[in-house]
Amino acid sequence: MDKKLHITILLSLAIIVFNRCKKPYEPPIIKTETHFLVVDGMISCGNNAVTKIVLSRSTRLGDSIQFAPELNAFVSIEEEQGSHYNLTEQGNGIYLSQQLSLDPDKKFRLIIKTTNNKNYISAFTEGKTSPPIDSLTWKQKEDVIISVNTHDPSNNARYYRWDYIETWNYRSIYSTDYGVNNGLIYVKDFLTQTDSCWRTSNSTNIILSSSVNLSEDVISDFPVAIVPQHTEKISLGYSILVRQYALPEKAFQYLRIIQKNTQQLGSLFDGQPSQLKGNILCVENPGEPVMGYISASTVTEKRMFIRNSQVANWHFAPSVEFCGVILTIPQNSTSYLIFDYPDTSFGPYYFVTGGLVITKKACLECTEQGGANLKPNFW
Amino acid sequence: MRCCRPYYLVFALVNLLYVPIVSAQTSMRVNEEFNNTTFPDFVLKIERNTNYYFYYKIAELDTFKITVKAENMLLHDLIGKVFANTAFHFAIDRNNNVFINSRNVIQTTLPDQFFSGGQAESDSFEFNTAIPPEPFQNSARTGSRDNKLNEIGFKPSAIKKDRANIAGYVRDSKTGESFTGAMVYTDTPFVTAITNQFGYYSISLPTGRHVLQISSAGMKAASRQIMLYSDGTLNIELQDSIPSLKNLIVISEKKSNIRGMQMGEERLSIKTIKRVPVVFGEADILKVLLTLPGVTSVGEASNGFNVRGGSTDQNLILFTDATIYNPSHLFGFFSAFNPDVVKGFDLYKSAIPEKYGGRLSSVLDVSMRDGNSKKISGTGGIGLLTSKLTIEGPLKKDKTSFIIGGRSTYSNWLLKQIPRSDFSKSKAGFSDFNLRISHTINEKNSLYLTGYVSNDNFKLNTDTLYEYGNRNLNIKWKHIFNNKLYGIAVAGWDNYQYSISSKENPVNAFRLQSAISQGSLRTDFNFSPDNKHSFSFGLNSIYYKIDPGSFVPSGKQSLVNPDKLQPEQALETAIYVGDQYTINSRFSINAGLRYSMYNYLGPRDIHAYAKGVPRDEISLTGTKSFRPGKMIKTYQGTEYRFVARMLLSNETSLKFSFNSLWQYIHMLSNTVAMAPSDIWKLSDPYIRPQKGNQLSLGFYKNFKSNTIETSVEIYFKHLKNYLDFKSGAVLLMNHYIETDIINTRGKAYGIELALKKKTGKMSGWLSYAYSRSLLRQDDPLAGQSINEGRYYPANFDKPHSINWVNNYQISHRFTTSLTMVYSTGRPITLPIAIFYLGGSQRIYYSGRNQYRIPDYFRADFSINIDGNHRSKKLTHNSWSIGVYNLLARQNPYSVYFIQEAGIIKGYQLSVFGTAIPFISYNFRF
Repeated sequence: MDKKLHITILLSLAIIVFNRCKKPYEPPIIKTETHFLVVDGMISCGNNAVTKIVLSRSTRLGDSIQFAPELNAFVSIEEEQGSHYNLTEQGNGIYLSQQLSLDPDKKFRLIIKTTNNKNYISAFTEGKTSPPIDSLTWKQKEDVIISVNTHDPSNNARYYRWDYIETWNYRSIYSTDYGVNNGLIYVKDFLTQTDSCWRTSNSTNIILSSSVNLSEDVISDFPVAIVPQHTEKISLGYSILVRQYALPEKAFQYLRIIQKNTQQLGSLFDGQPSQLKGNILCVENPGEPVMGYISASTVTEKRMFIRNSQVANWHFAPSVEFCGVILTIPQNSTSYLIFDYPDTSFGPYYFVTGGLVITKKACLECTEQGGANLKPNFW
Repeated sequence: MRCCRPYYLVFALVNLLYVPIVSAQTSMRVNEEFNNTTFPDFVLKIERNTNYYFYYKIAELDTFKITVKAENMLLHDLIGKVFANTAFHFAIDRNNNVFINSRNVIQTTLPDQFFSGGQAESDSFEFNTAIPPEPFQNSARTGSRDNKLNEIGFKPSAIKKDRANIAGYVRDSKTGESFTGAMVYTDTPFVTAITNQFGYYSISLPTGRHVLQISSAGMKAASRQIMLYSDGTLNIELQDSIPSLKNLIVISEKKSNIRGMQMGEERLSIKTIKRVPVVFGEADILKVLLTLPGVTSVGEASNGFNVRGGSTDQNLILFTDATIYNPSHLFGFFSAFNPDVVKGFDLYKSAIPEKYGGRLSSVLDVSMRDGNSKKISGTGGIGLLTSKLTIEGPLKKDKTSFIIGGRSTYSNWLLKQIPRSDFSKSKAGFSDFNLRISHTINEKNSLYLTGYVSNDNFKLNTDTLYEYGNRNLNIKWKHIFNNKLYGIAVAGWDNYQYSISSKENPVNAFRLQSAISQGSLRTDFNFSPDNKHSFSFGLNSIYYKIDPGSFVPSGKQSLVNPDKLQPEQALETAIYVGDQYTINSRFSINAGLRYSMYNYLGPRDIHAYAKGVPRDEISLTGTKSFRPGKMIKTYQGTEYRFVARMLLSNETSLKFSFNSLWQYIHMLSNTVAMAPSDIWKLSDPYIRPQKGNQLSLGFYKNFKSNTIETSVEIYFKHLKNYLDFKSGAVLLMNHYIETDIINTRGKAYGIELALKKKTGKMSGWLSYAYSRSLLRQDDPLAGQSINEGRYYPANFDKPHSINWVNNYQISHRFTTSLTMVYSTGRPITLPIAIFYLGGSQRIYYSGRNQYRIPDYFRADFSINIDGNHRSKKLTHNSWSIGVYNLLARQNPYSVYFIQEAGIIKGYQLSVFGTAIPFISYNFRF
């Protein structure tokens, strides 16, 4: 009896101890304004270069909106003791300049005026000259690793940033000659074909390196991109355009913090929280945080192709799970070319005697995966 | 010797408490005025000016006040006047011995037939002492009675004006356990000695008669009448202060805060510790420590503690000479020290003695008991989560004793009983084991063997298992050269390791391990030529070996790439010398120098970085390999320790101290993860030793005859090369850790107010501390400045803290205890916003440590019920019942942020989010 009672006490206690211990925490700051201006991009110098600046607002921690573009802002590049070059809005927070030929030996800054009548200016930043990319190389060790080589004989660049655009060719799962236009089946030509597509994607991380550890300004075989094995990217042909920028040291350190700032939270291998201090100032409220660091540089770029035949052991197997086929008998026998299957996610595959075999458009048309069906110019 | 027997009989008649001493027979007259003088003072005065010696019971006469004017008065007449109309009788014998008694009429002469060999010679000491003279010098004696006269040393033919030394042990009369920090003192002359870790004291006094006062926490204060002839030994046994029926005032360490040289020191015995209620009813050293002024922790149930704005790795934690790297069990729910084997602790916050070094903030010296040297006994406890058993006793009576203690949890079993799936994966448990064998080879030599092993493992609602453990072993040899010089040599090995493993996903299953080991050798000597000087000197040497981390796959399916960080090793050697110099009865100083040298040793590959730019993997220029044993980098420096004490009055003192310290070992603590993934790192060519200077000033005043102690201490600290981390730094498995570490400057300052009442029905303490701890990153090669180079609060900066511990004794068997703790919430760096840059989502954080988590407040209550006090019982039982977190406040232990479905959410974790009742049963046999 005594023993039983004892155990009961133990149990109830343990539940109390380990229960009710976690509850949501809303930090006091989150109640205050957290929609800070974010300025992403850099001033492009050199011949006929277009400067692209993306303006957005930071969002609150608990918000489900992940990207809040800053619209209708006035954005301009100012050359020190020189002209202003206005950028034009392209929608979704993207602002582009005309083709300019800014002299990298000059200093520049960015001026922004937002719709809430706040003025933002960056510090004047000296233009940097990016040396040409000597070569892009790749090697395969299961995954394909693409590396960059460059050198600056003047030893001025030292701090580099790269980004890249990948383009690759892929095919639809099933090949068909037929398409549907206004409910009528037609035979596709090379402009409307959907068997072969080219998809393009931009790099999503910050790629930085420096030659400060070397006696000469040389970057040798620095890996910029990795193509994971067996992915669609080198299932047929793959092309990468690597763009190279030279950075001032301060901009490099700023981006280095962002680079190290992991996006995962609460795990064992988390980095220490980082505070960012860029070079953009709100004129009306100097204490207001503004994210981004504006620098100016010429851009050099290089393109490289990798064909599937060049890589070893590359087996891309698309999922055909949803690619079952259905035989339909046209209800309107006047024309077999009328396509009136009620589920519009289906499209014509091929004709059989007395009917049409249809399947999911996603299995028939490579454009459904987001690629373009026209061969790019450089291909 | 032949005359002694009859004298024995005489005093059997009178009272054994009266011990006569003889002086030359003259009749003297007294010229003195007494105004409200206590009887002991009266006696002192008379004894000083005449040849009379008094014998009386102190207990009967210490409050007896005398107001009388004696003009050329015979002593007989004077005493007759003093005791007229009182219950006291007196008698004076031929040898001018005065006997006072409340019951008997005293006969000072014996019937003639008692003497067969005629009259004792009056000028001979030998034949007139009541106690047969023993060769005191050769075998230590134990003075055990307050009123008995203890003769020390060889009697000279005539008493010369000279000084002599008395040394010995202060021990428990029942268990033979020695007392550390007990005060042995005399009021005239004003001389104080404090027992060392072995309970050994050494005091020099003018030859002649003295009253030695002895006090130790939780023990009945005692005094010894001594007659000092020459150097000798006097062991003192103290009695337990079992509350008597008349609610006797327990005098514990009364006056010691005023008279002692210690400053910023907290000393608590296990008796005091056991009175403070703690969760699950288990007496806990760390929990009690956290109620002391100037001691805080980062959060509830966190590892370690912070002293005066120092980090947790700046505390040297010693458990009978063993360095403990993690003093906590179960995320800090329990401390690593089994209360049943602990004697007490000393915490040095400001005046750190020169014999300690290697840490900046504090030294916590926890001492273990030697074990009962008189009989086999044991203690045990059954609590809700833990059980413990300790057995101790003599292996050879009064020569060799042992104590073995163990604790274990049964919480794993408990968690399995809970019918909720959340807990089925949880697991939490610990065990620890202590062993100590003390062996007295002879009067001069003793050996001590101490071992400690602890193990911890827990898993809370996840599949990640955390395990850690301490292992310590040391052997100590103590040699007493003579009364004035003793030496200690200790050889020890300490180890701490932890591992984190996860098997949730067989493909990613991993095991992460890290370990630190140290082998140490130390010698300490203490030389007290006289009461003016007490020198200490010695040599300490520690060899460190750290395995910072290995990350290995766990299980056959795991595809984790194994990774191992290079081990590192170093040798730290220090020599020190110090002197405690009593300039006069009011002013004394303690000055010490410690010279330390540190060698960072191979084998190791050291990365080299481009000069003049921030250290970064990108600025790496090469790697240099060093052979085993090769000195890679040497640091050395002198540390200064200085304390001065000025006694303003009997109950007031002023103390000043200055300390400088160096620290060569650092802890890298990941404050982001809620896991004990702390890594120890040695100073290397890039990570310089931390240096700290502390200046403090204290004012101490006691009230109500030293039963109420108050103190005010202010301090200012300056830190150099304190480690903090760059933004985005990753601490685990980082091969380039030096690129993520920055050296900061720090300052800490504060004021501590304390009010303590250690005796009486109501006892306890109230303390308030204001303390700030600020850092500033000024390393030009950091590549980034934290908070734009301004001072920012350290992780453990908690400006206000208030602690109140209140014990109330209702009766002999019932004691209640109430504790309240308040502190400012600790600072955190908050994620404020999310933004897109460079193609990905990024998090924007506030300035480092610019916000604080909610304040902490907790109240606990407990009742201790002792079994009856019949001393002949087979076992003594006690119950402890109470409630932890009485107000059920949800104090946040940690605040953390995780990404859930792309949205960042904040959570606060309260470890004890509700009131927790507890009950535990303790027994002693």
